[in-house]
Amino acid sequence: MSVRERRAVVATGLIAGLALTASVSSCGAPQNDAKQAVLQIGAIPDQNPEKLNRLYGTLSAELSEKLDVPVRYAPVSNYAAAVSAFRTGSVDLVWFGGLTGVQARLQTPGARVLAQRDIDAEFTSVFIANGASGLRPFTSANQLVELKGRRLTFGSESSTSGRLMPQFFMGENGVKPEDLAGGGPGFSGSHDATIAVVQSGAFEVGALNEQVWRGNVADGRVDPGKVSVIWRTPPYVDYHWVVRPGLDERFGEGFTNKLQSALLDLSADTDDGATILELFGAERFIPAKNEDYVMIETVGRQLGKIR
Amino acid sequence: MALRIDLKPALPLIPLLPGLSLLGILVVMLRDGHGGGLSVLQQFAAGAVQPSIDPIVLGSLLNGLQITLVIAVMSWGISSVLGVGLGLLSSSTFWEIQAGVRWPAVILRRWLAPLRAVHELVWGLMLLQVFGLNGWVAICAIAIPYTVLMARVIADQVDCHVSPAIPVLKGAGATPWAVMLTGLVPPLAEPISDHIGHRLDCALRSALILGVFGLGGLGTDLSLSLRSLQFQELWSGLWMLAIAMVVLDRLLRTLRSWSRMLILPVAMASPWAALGWGTQLDLQLAWPVAEWSMVVGNLIDGSQGFNTALEISWPGVIGATVWITLIGGCVATGLPPLLLLVWPSQASLRLQGVVWGALRLIPAPLTALLLLMLAKPSLSLAGLALGLHHGGVMGRVLIDEIRSTGLGSAQTMKACGAPNRVSWLYGPLADVSRAYLTYATYRLDVILRDTAIIGMVGGAGLGWQLMEALSSFHWWLVLWIVLISAVLTLLGESLGERLQGSWNSRAMAL
Repeated sequence: MSVRERRAVVATGLIAGLALTASVSSCGAPQNDAKQAVLQIGAIPDQNPEKLNRLYGTLSAELSEKLDVPVRYAPVSNYAAAVSAFRTGSVDLVWFGGLTGVQARLQTPGARVLAQRDIDAEFTSVFIANGASGLRPFTSANQLVELKGRRLTFGSESSTSGRLMPQFFMGENGVKPEDLAGGGPGFSGSHDATIAVVQSGAFEVGALNEQVWRGNVADGRVDPGKVSVIWRTPPYVDYHWVVRPGLDERFGEGFTNKLQSALLDLSADTDDGATILELFGAERFIPAKNEDYVMIETVGRQLGKIR
Repeated sequence: MALRIDLKPALPLIPLLPGLSLLGILVVMLRDGHGGGLSVLQQFAAGAVQPSIDPIVLGSLLNGLQITLVIAVMSWGISSVLGVGLGLLSSSTFWEIQAGVRWPAVILRRWLAPLRAVHELVWGLMLLQVFGLNGWVAICAIAIPYTVLMARVIADQVDCHVSPAIPVLKGAGATPWAVMLTGLVPPLAEPISDHIGHRLDCALRSALILGVFGLGGLGTDLSLSLRSLQFQELWSGLWMLAIAMVVLDRLLRTLRSWSRMLILPVAMASPWAALGWGTQLDLQLAWPVAEWSMVVGNLIDGSQGFNTALEISWPGVIGATVWITLIGGCVATGLPPLLLLVWPSQASLRLQGVVWGALRLIPAPLTALLLLMLAKPSLSLAGLALGLHHGGVMGRVLIDEIRSTGLGSAQTMKACGAPNRVSWLYGPLADVSRAYLTYATYRLDVILRDTAIIGMVGGAGLGWQLMEALSSFHWWLVLWIVLISAVLTLLGESLGERLQGSWNSRAMAL
């Protein structure tokens, strides 16, 4: 037998042995199907992974301590996937945007809104423009008509502040998506990317979440000489916590209410509370209910994002 | 008497011809150029040399990488084993030996084709709707189209490697199984194991893309970093991915150097090993429960199924998709041989390998974002972004082919006095042109399906419409788009087969 053949025989034996050991050990290993006992939380992907991991790592630990149940954070990188994961029961409690929260509730009968941030009751989007576009700040909404024929980008296709509400206000003032240059808007994928592509000049105008805009300005990531705000939308409701039905049966009577209280009780007085609220960009969580999002549902239906 | 001569380009010139499209793209880029995003490009470049070493980031990336690897290895193993089996069953030769008829192979092939025409990403998003977030969703999403694609390649290989010994063996009264084992298996073993090895790299990239669309793993982290423009975090992930790609490549090469046949037992054993590994990770591998009511209910309720089809202006959308695909295909096919001829030397092959590796490593949405920092959005820019990414794959194929064919022909021509560039053109490039072009036709439908991931350049194409329909949970429209995409893919495939036929290069080993 040549050296090469011997090697091949040895390698085959090793592979077979390894596979056998792995499959035997996997049969004996505990499966992660203790779903009944673990509270799975998730969030729509609107921040960087470092921040998301830090934020939800701390929040999971905090909720676990307060509620005395194991809490697991499941990262999701796509808005629609977050909605589907909620509907199929892969996650129990999710931090949704306005539109995705309504989509998720409509697909999951019995799901309810638990809380929102203090800033979410009156959230706004901003339209930003590249200096070379020649667009100056608008003094009234009907000036949105000046966006006709411009290269405009939204953020993610399911974003409330980066697409739905800006598109709604444009429509209210007679600007349809097909009136834009190129026959339609671009979708940068995120609020941060919207700033980058407008600042660079690839797009003349962009629409995004005002909170993210302010954050970028404060961090010095915006060049005021190249890009500036031209219009701020009227306020609307946005992000919120939505919980699946049936948690009381799984975790005990009154669990959903306890969960709501745990979120509302987060305060900047404790170290963990301060970290969580700072990462959420809020001072506190406030109660919210399903009816608060009727307007988002109406707009969603009008623009075809809710069927 | 007039003499008619048909002018046909020499074979090695055909792979170079698509490169001409680069001139057009250059003109468009110059016209649309703005250069306003140089600072972002600088940050991106700086991130490469100073990746994030934050323990939270690295921990999350490492976990993500393991999940991606488990998904890739598992789906690769499953699709290889099933693909070989189905491939045999869908080859005419198999049925001729077994039963003396061909029709079962034809029927099976027709049945399998639609499964292949749906991108793994679309499978993933559709299975996610039914089964929720679960490791098996990602594994099945890759394994289904990969199995059927593998079956197609294997069936092609079987049918074009028919040994003259087969009728003789049959005539001598050998049993059908004996005929297969002695007449069919030996010439097939090598090309099949080469192809199986190649698919592992593809499975890794598919697992990554599924992560980008919400199914967990390294792709999730990379996509979140990209969207928040955290280039240092992004580069930590990209470097980790690069190391994983190189290690896997080396492992496969070493296995192949021991024995080419070893890849088969490895593929068979890998799902079990990956399953064992997966249970140690934060990956849900309990068998999922289907939740059909939402999707099926919507389709049954939707009495306006046909009206839905009128919501999209199909000619425009299909035109944009085909245009982006063509540009992407031309760039991906033309660029590698062009670079080879710009710098034709054995030493440069290694460097070119690095260039193609880098292009493969950078996901197409990131390439698109970086290009937007230099030019305004256009269909050409979208095509260029896809072309550069897939050029990375084509470059690797070209270099691998040249390495396995050897550089003897270039040396011979040089010894005869041909200039260096000409001897590479009519030497190694001519040797591998057929196999390369065959691969390019397979690549075209991958590019067609990838139009889904570049919405940022203007929301054009079928892929983008699909994302929009999926995020609106508009199931009838999803159904229509998947159907039209499948038809386009199948049309593209039959066109590809004709092209392959005209180059006389059907079913070369990949």
